Amino acid sequence: MNAYIITRDNLRTWIDALIRDYTLVAPVREEEKVSLFKPVGSFTEIDLNYTNSTISPKGWLFPQTEEMFFFFTSDNQINLEDACKPGTTILFGLRPCDVKGIIALDPVFNGTYQDCYYQMRRQNTILVCLCCTRVERHCFCNSMGGGPTNGEGADLLLTEMEDGYGIEVLTSRGEELVNKYHQLFAVDGDNRVSKTRDEMGKKLASQFSRKVDISGIKEFLDQHFELPYWNELAQRCLGCGICTFICPTCHCFDIFDQSPDGESGVRSRCWDSCMFSHFTRMAGGHNPRPTKKERIRNRFLHKLKYHRDRYNLDGCVGCGRCINKCPVNIDIRQIIADLQEVARYDQLPLS
Amino acid sequence: MTNCRSHNPLRPFPATIIKIIDETPDVKTFQMVFDDPEVMENFKQKPGQVAQISVFGVGEATISITSSPTRKGLLEFSVKKVGMLTSALHRLEPGCKVGIRGPYGNHFPYEKMKGKDLLFIGGGIGLAPLRALIDFVLAEENRKDYGNIEIIYGARSVDDLCFKYDILERWPQMPGTKVYTTIDRAEQGWEGHVGFVPAYLEEINPTPKNKYAITCGPPIMIKFVLQALEKMGFSDDQVITTLEMKMKCGIGKCGRCNIGSKYVCLDGPVFYLSQLKQLPPEF
Amino acid sequence: MKVQENLRDIARKLLVNKEATLVIGYAPGSEVSRVIPAFIRKEEEVDHLIWNPLCVNNLAKYLLDYNQEPGKVAVVVKGCDSRAIVRLIQDNQIPREKIIILGIPCPGLLDPETVASRLNPNTQILSASLNEQAFSIQTEEGIFTFSRNESLLEKCRSCEHHTPVIADFMLGEEIPPANRVDPFEKVKKLEDLPVKDRSDYWDKQFQRCLRCYACRNVCPACTCRECVFDQAEPCWIAKANNLSENTAFHLIRAFHVAGRCVDCGECDRVCPVNIPLTLLNRKILKDIKDLFNVPTPGTNLNELPPLGSFTNSDPDEFM
Ligand SMILES: Cc1cc2nc3c(=O)[nH]c(=O)nc-3n(C[C@H](O)[C@H](O)[C@H](O)COP(=O)(O)OP(=O)(O)OC[C@H]3O[C@@H](n4cnc5c(N)ncnc54)[C@H](O)[C@@H]3O)c2cc1C
Ligand code: SF4
Ligand code: SF4
Ligand code: SF4
Ligand code: SF4
Ligand code: FES
Repeated sequence: MNAYIITRDNLRTWIDALIRDYTLVAPVREEEKVSLFKPVGSFTEIDLNYTNSTISPKGWLFPQTEEMFFFFTSDNQINLEDACKPGTTILFGLRPCDVKGIIALDPVFNGTYQDCYYQMRRQNTILVCLCCTRVERHCFCNSMGGGPTNGEGADLLLTEMEDGYGIEVLTSRGEELVNKYHQLFAVDGDNRVSKTRDEMGKKLASQFSRKVDISGIKEFLDQHFELPYWNELAQRCLGCGICTFICPTCHCFDIFDQSPDGESGVRSRCWDSCMFSHFTRMAGGHNPRPTKKERIRNRFLHKLKYHRDRYNLDGCVGCGRCINKCPVNIDIRQIIADLQEVARYDQLPLS
Repeated sequence: MTNCRSHNPLRPFPATIIKIIDETPDVKTFQMVFDDPEVMENFKQKPGQVAQISVFGVGEATISITSSPTRKGLLEFSVKKVGMLTSALHRLEPGCKVGIRGPYGNHFPYEKMKGKDLLFIGGGIGLAPLRALIDFVLAEENRKDYGNIEIIYGARSVDDLCFKYDILERWPQMPGTKVYTTIDRAEQGWEGHVGFVPAYLEEINPTPKNKYAITCGPPIMIKFVLQALEKMGFSDDQVITTLEMKMKCGIGKCGRCNIGSKYVCLDGPVFYLSQLKQLPPEF
Repeated sequence: MKVQENLRDIARKLLVNKEATLVIGYAPGSEVSRVIPAFIRKEEEVDHLIWNPLCVNNLAKYLLDYNQEPGKVAVVVKGCDSRAIVRLIQDNQIPREKIIILGIPCPGLLDPETVASRLNPNTQILSASLNEQAFSIQTEEGIFTFSRNESLLEKCRSCEHHTPVIADFMLGEEIPPANRVDPFEKVKKLEDLPVKDRSDYWDKQFQRCLRCYACRNVCPACTCRECVFDQAEPCWIAKANNLSENTAFHLIRAFHVAGRCVDCGECDRVCPVNIPLTLLNRKILKDIKDLFNVPTPGTNLNELPPLGSFTNSDPDEFM
C-alpha cells in the first residue's frame, strides 16, 4: 500500500484537524511516571515520546466499566434501552504490542455470540500505530511474534524520521484518514519510510534485555497441569488485580446491576480479575480455584496455553507491563524460562 | 455499523412469571413466558441447555431449563434459594417481570441416545436439568425412539424432594418407566426407600447393556455415583453428567467458567465421563 | 555484607535445629533492581537469602498465610516492617510465640528505578555497602556508586526507626535516626492549599485508581477476613469504576487503617498508577499525633492504637 511523509509541523496540523473531526485518544503523561491513553483537545497534550502506557489502551474498546443497557419499569412493563453510542474514535500513537493486544482480543468478542459492545467500538475505531524508537527493559514483544516496528493489525503505521514522520497505509480506513487531509502529506516515492523502519527495527532488535524462548511451552503445559512450580510462585503473589487490569489481552469481566429504587436502573459490566479469590467462588462457598496457586496457574495457562487452544493466538504480546508493575516481581519472562527448565530437567535445577 | 438492538446476546428479553410451584422449602419452580410472542416462538432450546435469568436491579443467574422443548409456549425453571439473585427470584409473584436470555450451552446427546435404555440418577435440585430430557423422551412424539427408562432420585428428606408430582405420580405411570425414590434418613409417613443415592444405585444394580447413564446432583453424590457406575461396568462413554462453574456472561466472553481451555457455558454443561477425565481437575 | 552472612547463619541454624520450619526473607529477583520474597524451608536453600538496599517489600503480612504452620516461622524485617509485626501481634493476627523476628537495622534503601537506569538488568549484585554519602554496588560489571541524596528511596528519607522496634535476633548494629526529613512536609504543603485545589488534586488521583486492591492486599493493617470491598451484600461500594465510587473506596480504606497504619509505605509502592497513598495516610497520622500525642502505630507493643482505646485525657471538643 501507499506511504507518505509528513513534516513535524504538518503532523501538528493533521492531529489538530483529526481532533476537530473525530475523537482522538492518544498517550498523555498524566504524572511523572504515569502515562495513559486519554481523549485529547490539542496536539500539545500528546506525549509521543512515551514508551509504553501504564495501563494498556484496551479500555477504549473494552472499558473498565461499561454501561450495557438501562431498564425502566412502567405499568408493569420492562423496557430496555441500549447505552452504547460510540462515534468514530482514533486511537493514535499505539505501540505495536498494543495493536497486537487488540488483535488478540478480537476473537474473544467475536464468534458465534457477537459482543456488540466491543464490536461497535472496534468497528468505529481507527488504529494509528507508532513504531517504537527505544526498547524498555521489560519489553519482549520480539519473543512473542511481534516487534517494535511491526504494525500488523493497525490501519496506519507511523515511523519517526529525521525530518518528520513516515506514514504507511495498511488499510483502506487508514487511507481515508490520509486522503482527507492529503495536502499535508508528501508521497514517499523511493521507499524511504520502509527503509527507515527496517533500519530502526534492526537497531532495536539488539536492545532487548532478554530473549524469551516460548517454543514447546504450550506443548509442555498440554501435558503438565500439576506442577510444584505453581505453588512456589503463588507463595509470594498478593492476589491483586494489577497484572490483569493493565494487561492488553486480559478480558475477564463481571456484570452487575445498579438500581436506586428497584424500578429502573442500569446493567453494566466491569473488568474482573482471575487473581481475585471470589472470581470463581460459587453460591454456597465452593471454589474450584480456592488458593492463589490455582489462580496464578490459571492466569499463566490462559496466557501461554488456553488462548492458543481457543483462538490459535498467544495470550501474551510481550508488552512487559505486568513485569514492570507486579509488586512481587512475578515476571512472565522468568516463568517461561523456568518452565523451559522444568520441562528439560523435570524440576528447577536450583531447588 | 453493528447495531446493538438486533443482535445483542447480553441483552435479555422481558418475560413474565405466570405460575410458581413450591417444590421444597428452598426450591420453587417458575413458569415463564416471553412478553413478545415472536421471541417465545423462536426460542428453541434442547434438553440440557440453560438460560440466564434476570431480576432487573439485582442481576442474573444461570438456570437449567427444566421443561422439555416438547412443551411449547412456556419455560420452566426450578430455582434453589442460595444467594442474592435466587433469593430475589423467590420473592417474586406470578405476574412479575423478569428477563431471559439463551438458550446457552450444549445439550444432552438425545440423538445418540435413540434406541437405548436410559438410566437417570439425580439428587436434590440436580433433577432439574435431567427432567428436561426425561420429559423429552417420554413425550408422545419421541417415546418410540427410546428404550426403557429408569429414574433413581433422592433427597435429604421428603420435604426436600423436588418435582414430587412427577416422581411420585406422573412418571411411574408412564409406559416402560421405573422410578426409584429414596430419602437420606427414615421419616414418619415415608414408606419408600431410605438411604443415599449411590448405595441405592448399587442395590438396584442396573445392567450397563445398551444403556446411557445420566447423572446430576451434589458433587459428593456424583463422585460416588460415578464410582458405582464404573463398578457395574458402565464405560466412560456411557456415562453423562453436567458441570457447574460460576458464570456471568454465559457466552464465552467473561472468562470465568473455564476448566482448562474449555468454557462450561459454551462447551458444557453436559460432558461424557470420558471428556471429564480429559479436563484438569479444577471444578 | 555482614548482615547477609549473619542472616544465612541464623536461618540455617533455625532450620537445622528445627526451631523454625520456614524462613521468610529476600532472594534475588528476575533483574538486578528487584528482589523477591523467598520462602525457605530447606537448609540447602538458605544461601538464596540476600540482604541489599533493594529489599523493599514488607514481608510481615505473609505471616498470615502461615498461621496454621505446625512450627515457628521466622521473618526478616527492617525498621519500618517491624512496626507491622507489632501491629499484627496487637491485632491478634499472629501469636508472638509462633514467630521468630530477624531484625535488620536498615540504613535506607535505594530507589529501584534509579538502579535499573544504570545497571545491566541481567547482572547480579555481588556486594553492597553504604557510607554517609553514597551506596556502592558491586556487580560482575564493576562498582557503581549512587549518591544518597539522589537515590535514597523517598520513604527512607523520613525513616523513624532504622532499627527494628522488635526482634528476636538483631542481625546488625543499631542505627540511630539521623538527618530525618519531616515526614509531614508534603502533608503540610497540601494542607495550605485552598479547599478547591485540594479537592481537585485528590479527584485527579482517585480518578485513575484501577481498584486493583493491591494497596489493600499488601497492607499489614488490612486483615479483615472478609473485606467490605468484597462484600456483595450489603454492597458498600459498587463495582463501577468512577470518581465517586473510587473516592468512596479511598476514604473507606484510609479510615479503616487510621490509627493502625504503621507508615510502612507499601501501599504507595505497589500502586500501579502511583496514587500517593502515603500522603493520605500521613495526613491522618499527623492529625492523630496532633490529637493524641502518640507515637507512630506499631512502635510499642504495649501501646494500644489511639482510636482503639480510651483515656480520660482524650480530646473531646466535639462533645
Ligand atoms: C450450568 C448450570 C446450571 C444451573 N442450573 C441451576 C438450576 O436449574 N437451578 C438452580 O437453582 N441453580 C442452578 N445453577 C446454579 C445457579 O446458577 C446458582 O445457584 C446461582 O447463580 C446463584 O446465584 P445467586 O445470585 O443467588 O448467588 P450469589 O452467591 O449471590 O451469586 C452471585 C452471582 O455469582 C454467580 N454464581 C454464583 N454461584 C453460581 C453457580 N453455582 N453457578 C453459576 N453461577 C454462579 C451468578 O452470576 C450469581 O448471580 C446452575 C448453574 C450452572 C453453572
Ligand atoms: S502476579 Fe503480581 S500483579 Fe499479579 S496478582 Fe500476583 S502480586 Fe498482583
Ligand atoms: S501477560 Fe504481561 S507481558 Fe504479556 S501482554 Fe499481558 S501485561 Fe503484557
Ligand atoms: S493499588 Fe492503586 S490502583 Fe490499586 S486499588 Fe490501590 S490505589 Fe487503586
Ligand atoms: S496503609 Fe500503607 S503504609 Fe499504612 S500499614 Fe498499610 S500498607 Fe503500610
Ligand atoms: S460464563 Fe462467561 S465465559 Fe462462561
